[in-house]
Amino acid sequence: MLKRIPLPSQFDRIIISGGITVGAIGLPLGIVLVALVAFGVISAPEMVFFVAAFIVILGALGCVLLPNIVHAALSLTATLIGVAALYLLLMSEFLALVQVLVYGGGVVLLLLFGLMMTNAQDDPVVTDGSQKPFAFLLVSLLIGTFITLLLAGDWGNPTAHVVPFELFGERLFREFAVPIIIVAVLLDVAITGALVNVHTASSDLPEESE
Amino acid sequence: MIPIEYFLTLGAILFGLGLFGVLSRRSAILILMAIELMLAGVSINFIAFASYLDTDAFSGLIFALFVITVAAAEVGLALGIVLRLFRERRTSNVDEASDMRW
Repeated sequence: MLKRIPLPSQFDRIIISGGITVGAIGLPLGIVLVALVAFGVISAPEMVFFVAAFIVILGALGCVLLPNIVHAALSLTATLIGVAALYLLLMSEFLALVQVLVYGGGVVLLLLFGLMMTNAQDDPVVTDGSQKPFAFLLVSLLIGTFITLLLAGDWGNPTAHVVPFELFGERLFREFAVPIIIVAVLLDVAITGALVNVHTASSDLPEESE
Repeated sequence: MIPIEYFLTLGAILFGLGLFGVLSRRSAILILMAIELMLAGVSINFIAFASYLDTDAFSGLIFALFVITVAAAEVGLALGIVLRLFRERRTSNVDEASDMRW
């Protein structure tokens, strides 16, 4: 149906129809959630949790199911921003900040550049492997086991606590000083390794890349 | 207040979806993205345990920070490998790069 609507060719029909679908599912859900909060069935933080969880799970589904790799990368962004919202709900605003900066900014940008430099420009649509049904079976078993086990456990009734910023930094740089140094070395080695790996002498380059 | 089970369930679902992506996708960059999903699920569990159950020591927060750092390093290095693979073979499909498979 959407193919008949005249649109400029720059408009991506899948993104538009995906947005319409998400809106059509999300709007009634949002109205139901607001009504539940208004009648006092769930609290306001729980409503925010459900909205964030909706975004996270929908984005993750898009990331693993969409055939177009650029769309998959964009829905990964939605998931990571939703995860940052969950970190805020868990009272760790520093981790939420780092999540948005490192994942929403850096990692997704890097992945998109990787896609552009490999096959996104010629053929952005990929086919998945043949073990998809097997993977689905295994993963549903795994998720079922996880959820059964964690719902069977007795967690008491704990509440989330804010970790003070100063305490966090103090513990990070005093008791975890050695891991911090190791991570610094790891980042250094990773950057050097990536550069050495990608760099080729100009004589090695294939003909068509010039 | 939100019960801790909500966060643990969401972490389990996110981990499972990431595993599904790793098993079913064939493009190397899409497998990397699915690994990011798995790491995000694990980080949610870490932070939930840290801020609900381990409020004095909050080691989970610090571990989540390390997870984010290592994931960033891993993505940079793995993309370098994928670019190199694409330059040599004109493909980023992991099934076509099976020379070292036993």
